[in-house]
Amino acid sequence: MTAVAPRFDAVIHPPPRLQVCGLLAAVDTMDFAAVRDTVGVSDSVLSKHVKQLEEAGYVRVRKATRASRLRTSLALTAEGRAAFDAHVAELRRITGG
Amino acid sequence: MLSAMESNEVTDRAAAEAELSSLRADRTALAERVLVPWWYDALLSLLVFGLLSSYSARSNWVTLPAVAVFLLGLSGMKVLYRRLTGVWVNGFRKGATRRAIHVWLAAYGVLLGAAAVAEYLLDLRGAMVVGGAVIAVVLYAVNRWWTRIYVAELREGL
Repeated sequence: MTAVAPRFDAVIHPPPRLQVCGLLAAVDTMDFAAVRDTVGVSDSVLSKHVKQLEEAGYVRVRKATRASRLRTSLALTAEGRAAFDAHVAELRRITGG
Repeated sequence: MLSAMESNEVTDRAAAEAELSSLRADRTALAERVLVPWWYDALLSLLVFGLLSSYSARSNWVTLPAVAVFLLGLSGMKVLYRRLTGVWVNGFRKGATRRAIHVWLAAYGVLLGAAAVAEYLLDLRGAMVVGGAVIAVVLYAVNRWWTRIYVAELREGL
């Protein structure tokens, strides 16, 4: 396994964004509503943070109509995954774990 | 008394530990979310059984519709999985779940090969039905195993 170089990431660091990246890192895609329920924030708060992650190129947002309902799904990009892994490595370095 | 630098280090460490704990808690919550009911895996196995057993009819009038039903069914299963869990996870993802995939591919290859030889070379009519049933049972077991491995991985945290 290749060791990940620890690197603090200011975009990922704020708790809601860190949580969003943590969830998306474990799946391929996750529905916006499922992320919102797990993180425990409102739609508007999550939208704001997702937009910042999207602008950084860390998260991809897809909208699709399923059963006549618009569903938004989120996925971590390869860049986002690498940044998240490096940020977690930095947290581990700080804790000495 | 702690110096300012030592105090910052302690604060940073406490904050980092809290963040890692929060990430672990979210993964545990995700582990609960991805547990699908038994009937989901049973439905998937039923689809595979339907497709494979259709080959025993030895007629394109049976097999081709069965292939269409299978493909439509697979698409429906993906939608259903997302509706039940709110996520989509590639079964062939990297990680410990690959063990289950390797076992599945090996078992599928051997069982399908044996059933096809029996059906078409030995002319044992119905061998694909039996083979399809065995493969469906194996698929059910492997799917449950795959989910258990994935859930354990999520619960182990980061």
